[in-house]
Amino acid sequence: MSSKINGQVSPQPCPHLVDFRSRNGSKPFRALQDCIRVKPPGGRAAIRREPSEVPRCSTCEESSRPRLYACVACAAVSCHAPPLHSHASAHALSIPGHEIAVDVDRAEIFCCACRDQVYDRDFDAAVVLAQTITATATTSTSGSTAMQCNVTGSQPENLRKRRRVDYRPWAPDSREHVIIGNHSIPLHDATNASLISSTELPWGLRGLNNLGNTCFMNSVLQALLHTPPLRDYFLSDRHNRYYCQQKNGAINGTKNSRLCLACDMDAMFSAVFSGDRTPYSPAKFLYSWWQHAANLASYEQQDAHEFFISMLDGIHEKVEKDKRKSQSPGSGDCCIAHRIFSGILRSDVMCLACGFTSTTYDPCVDFSLDFEPNQGGSGKSSSAKSHNSCSVEVDCMGSNQNCGISTLKSCLERFTRAERLGSDQKFFCQKCQVRQESLKQMSIRKLPLVSCFHVKRFEHSSIRKMSRKVDRYLQFPFSLDMAPYLSSSILRSRFGNRIFPFDGDDQDASNELSSEFELFAVVTHTGRLDAGHYVTYLRLSNQWYKCDDAWITRVNESIVRAAQGYMMFYVQKMLYYKASEKQDAS
Amino acid sequence: MKHSVNRPPTPDGAEDQGKEPTLQEIINIKLIESGEKERLMELLRERLIECGWKDEMKALCRAYIKKKGRNNVTMDDLVHLITPKGRASIPDSIKTELLQRISSFLTSAAL
Repeated sequence: MSSKINGQVSPQPCPHLVDFRSRNGSKPFRALQDCIRVKPPGGRAAIRREPSEVPRCSTCEESSRPRLYACVACAAVSCHAPPLHSHASAHALSIPGHEIAVDVDRAEIFCCACRDQVYDRDFDAAVVLAQTITATATTSTSGSTAMQCNVTGSQPENLRKRRRVDYRPWAPDSREHVIIGNHSIPLHDATNASLISSTELPWGLRGLNNLGNTCFMNSVLQALLHTPPLRDYFLSDRHNRYYCQQKNGAINGTKNSRLCLACDMDAMFSAVFSGDRTPYSPAKFLYSWWQHAANLASYEQQDAHEFFISMLDGIHEKVEKDKRKSQSPGSGDCCIAHRIFSGILRSDVMCLACGFTSTTYDPCVDFSLDFEPNQGGSGKSSSAKSHNSCSVEVDCMGSNQNCGISTLKSCLERFTRAERLGSDQKFFCQKCQVRQESLKQMSIRKLPLVSCFHVKRFEHSSIRKMSRKVDRYLQFPFSLDMAPYLSSSILRSRFGNRIFPFDGDDQDASNELSSEFELFAVVTHTGRLDAGHYVTYLRLSNQWYKCDDAWITRVNESIVRAAQGYMMFYVQKMLYYKASEKQDAS
Repeated sequence: MKHSVNRPPTPDGAEDQGKEPTLQEIINIKLIESGEKERLMELLRERLIECGWKDEMKALCRAYIKKKGRNNVTMDDLVHLITPKGRASIPDSIKTELLQRISSFLTSAAL
């Protein structure tokens, strides 16, 4: 009984609504538009004939009923308080054509005959419009001119911006079998059987030797080696190191000056997935990375997150940029690193004086979480979002959780909650042309393929010239649904029960891909800030493996749950295979 | 609301019928006129979300809809379902806070 438009389920209208629309021409709710009042600016919408009207039921005079409905046909206000009485239903039954009413306090349409809420796109469009535009209608006597808009024009019925290709399963025919056989090396080759000694271990598990305090690098590399889209990219030869060397070697001259982190990654993928189980030494990679991040080149211990960011940067820089593709930040068209990790954040700042909202989009490659100071107060400070990582605050006294335990979810909830920028953080409102107190809300416009959550455990205070490590435990789920933090969800909760797509936004971007994520790697840190150790836990075929430099052991999931997470990697569920990853079906 | 349709007259409050407005009604009108009711509603909404009450009600509705089938449930059914539970599960702290706000409003409005 409902159709899918734009990825959102759109309920079918009841027969009374259909009837009403057909009887009342192209703009059946036009008269209601004059009565939409939005208080405070940008907040909830209500229906009032005059701004200070106190709605009353015309039958029983009550104004304090929880639900009052105004008949759209004749403007009679009736109460609806089942099971005692519903004067709204009585009204609908007594006069045919008067079944459709609108909730005066919520601006939502109700069918009194069906006794159920119904949805109408034109009406919702009008309400959303009223909520988003500023109150300029006060200057004109016929305020309706500002409100009336050609809603049919602004809603594209062709809602799929990217053409979807139908999925067709493929299996090779005999000729293709031969081609495949001739041009590939089988993974389970009989001659290599000796190398694949422990066949119960998944493919691609190989220890990494510590080359001198390089556990920070090994841990991140293990996570990246098993990042499904990255693994697939390199294993399907999308960056061929020989070809790349050949091409760039000619340009740059000396072989030593040629540096390509992607080529080194390619070499590492080949080595790790070769089937050889002896620990691998990523010396070439380390050397290349030193050349790229000269300031970090030493045998001292480094920060794993810093390494991660600098590595993505390195891949981005050196991968040949396709000039034809758009270079818009966050689109991920520039390189594989951004294609996988880059998401887009949306920031809405709404002036509390006039309701004008300014929206900005910023790309990010991961989410950095802060531990809130232990007082549990409501003081939140959001730092500038222009960095690559965005800061998110952990709430240890949050709502639906045990006292004192911080969770990843509560943190994200806090991140997307509307926050009042107080008098010391006034934002310049373009409409008012002065600095005003505002309401700021963050949301995720586009989810990356892989979300990396980084917990800020290392505090560096330049004032006190000291650094310390925060050992506090953070609970993280194995499956994470990011839907409540998407812009579409946040906006929907701001505007109420509407089916109007907002701003002509590319809703498709987040709706086409799933918002469900699966955890596949956890980088943990134990010990002190200056003397600590990084270890990575990998989830393969729903088994957890501890990767401690050159030693890989299978561990129970409870160990992972209790671990002190420093970086958590989640991949979109549709890219993550739980059951079918096992190579040998037993 | 076409202009050509005869609209029933807006009732003149209770004076027509000779009914004395109850205290509850007077308070309600004062709250609405001053805008305090809206502020209280916003505060209540915020508190109920914070303490997880909204999520609980949502979960109840979901479970009910799952059981009955999406097309067999009306809004009235849901309201009927969660009203008693909802009313009973509001935390005392929220009740106290709102009552306090209302009473201070009443003293300031010199009722």
